[in-house]
Amino acid sequence: MTWRRALLILALLTPGLGVILVMIGSVFYVAVMQSFGYYNLVGDDQFSLEHWQEVLESRQFSRSLSYSAYIAVVSAVGSVVLAYPIAIWLRRPFRGSLLIGAVLKAPLFVPALVAAFLFLNVIAYHGVLNQFLMWVGFTEEPIRMQNDRGAWGVVFLQIWKNMPFALLLLSGAVQSISDEVLDAARDLGAGSFARFRKVIAPLTVQAMQASLIIIFINAAGDFAFQVTAGPTNVQSMAQYMVFLKDSFGRWNQAAVVGVSLMGLALAGSMLLALLARFVLRSGYRW
Amino acid sequence: MIALRSVDVSKVFEDGFRALSEIDLAVDHGEFVTLLGPSGCGKTTLLKVFAGFYEPTSGRIEQNGTDVTDAPPEKRDTAMCFQSYALFPHMSVAENIEFGPKQNKVAKDARLARLNELLRQVDLEKHREKLPNKLSGGQQQRVALARALAMRPSVVLFDEPLSNLDAKLREQVRREIRSLQREFGFTAIYVTHDQSEALAMSDRVVVMNGGRVEQVGAPEEVYERPDTAFVADFIGSANLLPFRQTGEHTVDTAFGPLSVASSPEPGARYICWRPEDGDFTGSGGPNQIAAQVSERAYQGAFTDIHVSVPGSPDQRLHWPGGAQGLGDTVTFRLPPERIRYVRGDLE
Repeated sequence: MTWRRALLILALLTPGLGVILVMIGSVFYVAVMQSFGYYNLVGDDQFSLEHWQEVLESRQFSRSLSYSAYIAVVSAVGSVVLAYPIAIWLRRPFRGSLLIGAVLKAPLFVPALVAAFLFLNVIAYHGVLNQFLMWVGFTEEPIRMQNDRGAWGVVFLQIWKNMPFALLLLSGAVQSISDEVLDAARDLGAGSFARFRKVIAPLTVQAMQASLIIIFINAAGDFAFQVTAGPTNVQSMAQYMVFLKDSFGRWNQAAVVGVSLMGLALAGSMLLALLARFVLRSGYRW
Repeated sequence: MIALRSVDVSKVFEDGFRALSEIDLAVDHGEFVTLLGPSGCGKTTLLKVFAGFYEPTSGRIEQNGTDVTDAPPEKRDTAMCFQSYALFPHMSVAENIEFGPKQNKVAKDARLARLNELLRQVDLEKHREKLPNKLSGGQQQRVALARALAMRPSVVLFDEPLSNLDAKLREQVRREIRSLQREFGFTAIYVTHDQSEALAMSDRVVVMNGGRVEQVGAPEEVYERPDTAFVADFIGSANLLPFRQTGEHTVDTAFGPLSVASSPEPGARYICWRPEDGDFTGSGGPNQIAAQVSERAYQGAFTDIHVSVPGSPDQRLHWPGGAQGLGDTVTFRLPPERIRYVRGDLE
């Protein structure tokens, strides 16, 4: 490739890729530098590992990290696990399938905060669900479900919000598998689960990985669901970052949490994607 | 002994399309039966009913005397070779072939022995680790065949397996399929719309039209003695003429009066003769015809000519030797014993 051609390609890419790189790159750069003591809003800029040390030694940070990782893994895996059977079910069009597909994708259009608020109305102490449970005689007095310590409310909301996205990606991939390939597997003795494990999953692994990665990153950085419906005894990484910034303006420490969150998103999503490929690869061989 | 049988099988799809009407067909063990017919005649539907992919609307399927109508494909002792090969694109040749035996929990030693034997038989030993997309069409078809045979099924169902191959390769794979079928002794049901493929490979040919069986018989039988105008017209070329009986051994046609060897059977509507039935040796006898050449196409071993007499539709003849020019008059004899009667309508 000549330098003129390389320059032309670069020029053509600049309006799109350039903006993305500048936006993301500058934010990432500032966050990293801030975590090492630069770009201070107050006081002198000075290289320091002190902020990292303070944050990494805090118990609250390790709890936030493991909590966000847990929420992200469960949400990503849960969304994909739920989306697969629906994608397979909707693979061949039938009367009403278009409507069902559209309804299932509706949560994509509901903002996270609105969804969390609606969810609270349902599970609140005097909410619709408790009233229903009491009406059918399941319980005599309301059950406290709001801000549960197991974070099931957050997990539910994450899956509710992200499953349609996984469905969107997986539907296309599942539909691209020819009927004859699936018929061949069936003809060779593979039941429903074997067909999924040995044919459908390996042939849609890229869509599955994309879903896992994007949902993991989304859920790891959750703020809206956590502050509305999450447990009060632990903070998510995003919540902890905001807390640090808001309490005494500890910007540098907030930046440390931010950079850690980006690290978690990167490492976690890669691990999840690799694990998915490894499991599927060994899955269809036995 | 009957390996596979359909009893009064009909299939009507959800949109109301009737694909099969009361099909009764019995296939013996080790037999090679071809379902032949034009597109939409129901041959692939019948094959999928045999395989278990389609549930018949009425009627039943029996395998070795057992009713398997409700058994899913994975529970039937059949294996299918698909038109598109349907190889698993993420698996190597060896993994594709081993898929069925693994599903059926065949012991590893037996599985590997089966794999190696099949790879040798289909001449793909060097390609065992390759992915399907690295193979040619013919090689992919052989993998599909080996994958089906690895199941050791008593019946192999072929759904137009050669339609994606070029003419030369098609003939080669056709011979390979037939030789493997004889070697393994499995029962084969083979779907095609290619009549030459059907005639060359089959023990019996089932000619289908509009969801019904028109005729079942050995290749020679359906070619030499077609029952219906459709069979005569679909298999090979046929000259079909409506007739009026004028005597015990004479009929009147648009081609003129003709002597015939026998009286028409009830329901016969046309007389039929093949282009190669014309006798150009100049021998004496009835049915001497002089006709004018209206079209010609040189075919190598013969020239395909269309001839007509005033007031008659074109008739096809295979002229054995030198070329005839357009407008030339040719004289030939139509031996009465080569003229058959057929039933039914021409669509």
